[in-house]
Amino acid sequence: MSTQTQTETTTSETGVARLRALWNDYLPYWFIAPMVLVMVLITFFPGAYDLYLSVIEEPTFDVFAAEFVGLNNYATAFGRGGAMHSFIITVTVVVSALALETVLGFGLAALVAGVESERLQSFYRVLFIIPMAVAPVSLATIGRIMLNSEIGVIPYLIEATTPFAAPAFLSEIPLLTVVLLDTWNWTPFMFIIFYAGLSSVPDTLIEASRVDGAPLWRRYLHVVIPYMKPVVFVATLIRLIDLFRTFGVVYGLTQGGPGTATQLVSINIYEQMFINNSPGVAAAIAVVYLVFVVAIANIVIAKVGFEGVWD
Amino acid sequence: MASQNPSQSTSQSSGPATGDQRLDKDTRETLVSVARHGLLLAWSFVVLFPLYWLASMSLKPPGQANALPPDWLFLPTVYNYIRLAQDGAFLAAFANSVVMVSASVVLVLLIGVPAAYVLSRYAIPMERDVLVWILSSRMLPPIAVVIPFFVIFRSLNLFDTRIGMVFMYVSINLSLVVWVMKAFFDGIPETLEEAARVDGATRFQGFRKVVLPAAKPGIFSVAIISFIFAWIELLFGLVLTNFEAVPVTLFVYSFIGSRSIEWGMLAAASMAMILPVVVFLIAVNKYLAAGLSFGVVIKE
Repeated sequence: MSTQTQTETTTSETGVARLRALWNDYLPYWFIAPMVLVMVLITFFPGAYDLYLSVIEEPTFDVFAAEFVGLNNYATAFGRGGAMHSFIITVTVVVSALALETVLGFGLAALVAGVESERLQSFYRVLFIIPMAVAPVSLATIGRIMLNSEIGVIPYLIEATTPFAAPAFLSEIPLLTVVLLDTWNWTPFMFIIFYAGLSSVPDTLIEASRVDGAPLWRRYLHVVIPYMKPVVFVATLIRLIDLFRTFGVVYGLTQGGPGTATQLVSINIYEQMFINNSPGVAAAIAVVYLVFVVAIANIVIAKVGFEGVWD
Repeated sequence: MASQNPSQSTSQSSGPATGDQRLDKDTRETLVSVARHGLLLAWSFVVLFPLYWLASMSLKPPGQANALPPDWLFLPTVYNYIRLAQDGAFLAAFANSVVMVSASVVLVLLIGVPAAYVLSRYAIPMERDVLVWILSSRMLPPIAVVIPFFVIFRSLNLFDTRIGMVFMYVSINLSLVVWVMKAFFDGIPETLEEAARVDGATRFQGFRKVVLPAAKPGIFSVAIISFIFAWIELLFGLVLTNFEAVPVTLFVYSFIGSRSIEWGMLAAASMAMILPVVVFLIAVNKYLAAGLSFGVVIKE
């Protein structure tokens, strides 16, 4: 009995040693395998499954039982599904929000970087990132309250302090309202990255251009921004990608309405899937959207390149 | 054009700027400074007013919340917060979010940090393509991702479970963790681990006892940023939960549908969601730019 346990422990000990050797010898593989597995699951699988759903009649797990309907779902999506309209709305929102956030973020970063008092500078830096703490859906509910034509404080203040009539934010200019709310929410993202980029510009470079007597805007255009190119590139690329993910703020604010005025692609897909109960149409739009966004991001990456970003 | 810059800019600035230069330098600097602080104050107001309004709404007694003209002076009350603390649905959703998001952060670090270490230290074939592939997981619109998972989760009994939600939260943050941590590891000299190896440490020990401690600030900040991105997520909760695993974002959203919105409670719920994140943001403030830029801005 005792000898048996003895031998067992020795074999298990050599087993442990062998496992340990296996662990250490192939460490990089163990380290990277879970990530690759999850990545495959979240990149290739959804696209493939969307594609499959988009060409069959009804969702089914039995590939052979599925009734193949070709491009019917795509035709429906771009016919009465209003997919084209959604793409135009989405691109409008993405481009205008990105432009606003980039310009505002850079302007604020430059302003804060120029504040002499260190303490005041870090005060502004902390204050200006706070809007990021607000979840888009919370922002939407705040927006609903504050912008409401009857009980909202912002229309009230506009009418009380200016001679202008307040616009009906949610029914007359819903798209602009969405863009402005997103700008409030995410300008901090651009601000904080640009601010870090600006503080990495060597003082000597700025001094040299100041001695040249170049006016301020020229100094920025020809000295500071070229130096910060990688930072500007990465910030806009990531924000661009994230803007295509926008959902919560619009869904909370208008649910795509009034009518389809703010029906972003993501909201259109959601409604096709869960309100119209047509997964095929939803998947068809999803496939096009997926290809569209990945293509845009990759074109941007290829055109600008990551030169200087990670080399 | 750029090469002629010095001569050109001097001639130009002496041209249109003559009027300017008549102002003495001090006045001009004062003017610039006044404009700067004016603009910064204006933006501070834009940032703070909605938050102030939300906070004051949450502290006003019912009936006063939406009075117009606003009651700028009011007796603050914690009535809404007390009601919120007694609301089982809110507490459940808040607890769900805390548990699911925290678990997802732990998991995404366990998966992402070792992978980032390998990407940083070993020669990977087509490394750039691999990194862009990893980034591409962030490019996929969540709505396109969630439809397949909705179908799969139903058949795997993962629908409306915390485990399913944790997985989805991992999926949105994995690319961020890998990129940021790779950048941090790149900045840690390899000589540190080599010294440990010479002392007889295994590769794994070198990683755990030398590299990880050195990368602590990076891990801390990427953990917090991942937490925030998962915490504010609405779509996954909307599609993949309906009762058991409802996150707090969905609870806030559910106010909108109800016929008579209790503004004060909605404001209090929003405050409860926002305040922890504000604390987190301030805590991670120093590394925020590095984290948000996927590790590209590593300085500061």
